[in-house]
Amino acid sequence: MLLRLHVTPKRCIGCRTCELACAFSHSVTLHPSKSRVFVHKCGDEVFIPMVCLQCDEAACVMACPVEALTRNEQTGAVEVNDEKCVRCMACVAACPFGNMHYDEVKVKVIKCDLCGGDPLCAKFCPTQTLEYKS
Amino acid sequence: MVTLKIDGKIIQAREGTMVLEAARQMNINIPAICHHEAVEPWGGCRLCLVEITHDDWGGWSGLVTSCLYPVEEGLIVTTASPKVIETRKTIIDLLLARYPGSPRIQELAREYGIEKTSYVPDVGRDNCILCGLCVRLCAGMGMAAISTAGRGAAKEISTPLQEAPEDCIGCGVCHKNCPTMNIPMQDKNGVRTIWNRKFELIRCSACGKAHITREHAEYLCEHQDLPPEYFETCDQCKRLENADRFAAIVKW
Repeated sequence: MLLRLHVTPKRCIGCRTCELACAFSHSVTLHPSKSRVFVHKCGDEVFIPMVCLQCDEAACVMACPVEALTRNEQTGAVEVNDEKCVRCMACVAACPFGNMHYDEVKVKVIKCDLCGGDPLCAKFCPTQTLEYKS
Repeated sequence: MVTLKIDGKIIQAREGTMVLEAARQMNINIPAICHHEAVEPWGGCRLCLVEITHDDWGGWSGLVTSCLYPVEEGLIVTTASPKVIETRKTIIDLLLARYPGSPRIQELAREYGIEKTSYVPDVGRDNCILCGLCVRLCAGMGMAAISTAGRGAAKEISTPLQEAPEDCIGCGVCHKNCPTMNIPMQDKNGVRTIWNRKFELIRCSACGKAHITREHAEYLCEHQDLPPEYFETCDQCKRLENADRFAAIVKW
């Protein structure tokens, strides 16, 4: 059974530990701008962690002209092949949730890859807002 | 699967894989300027040459461009033999003479210990090294708006009849992937200028940020079957909008 990243926004307390865990695991800096998950404060007490949903019919995959985005069958994550990506930004523009990001320093498209099957955001989330389960 | 030897390491590769690809999978670095995984290999820069031999070839060995040479059973590849280095140095020396201003070539020359070209440098040229990557990527995007024109010393990358290309969608792939950054592109006041053509950039309906050319968005809607509303707002605003939408559900 394929595991999925579950998000339960009701439990989110807006601590942004997920952003730091993601930024640290992917870029070895603790800068939240390098994170693939963003916590948005909507109203007074509602926090919504926005993270790639690994859509079954993914707009990013459909938009990619060179098949640089493929699904990892083991983890279920849609992954970017940096060597194949031509930086046309079609996926960034196409994602209806705005969860494809572009790193202007490293000049590459970044997206959630579920940390290769062990997402650190879920591991570090103190309130189980983010859970990696079936 | 075929088994071959690269720099003494025995490796297995799928049939049809090129030697360059197989070597890179083993983290063996072979320089190549014109290579990109998104498009078919072309053998334009000649820098990826390697020495090949085989136990059955009676001691014969030869130099081939690794990006175009498919793996073979029992092939023995050397990526940095004295013969390879010497020939590669000559190629870099020639490239440096033809494109003395190109930073990428200068960097390669430094790496191979060439301080100055031993030929007469062709000063005053632009930095295009005619690797053809822009042309192949444009074709890969489904456009083919640019092409090589002319022959021999007069060969250049050009648009049809040197006019603003009709087929161009202003995606900027040629500009972003040019190894010598020789293709100018400018985004200013919501207008992208590339190949002497101006493209209107779609402004995000929420924040006003210009993010993709109208032609590129239309192309994606038409060919990749995506709804036009996906391109009305920029990625950040889309994320905020969706967060608000989810928040409304959570509150409810």
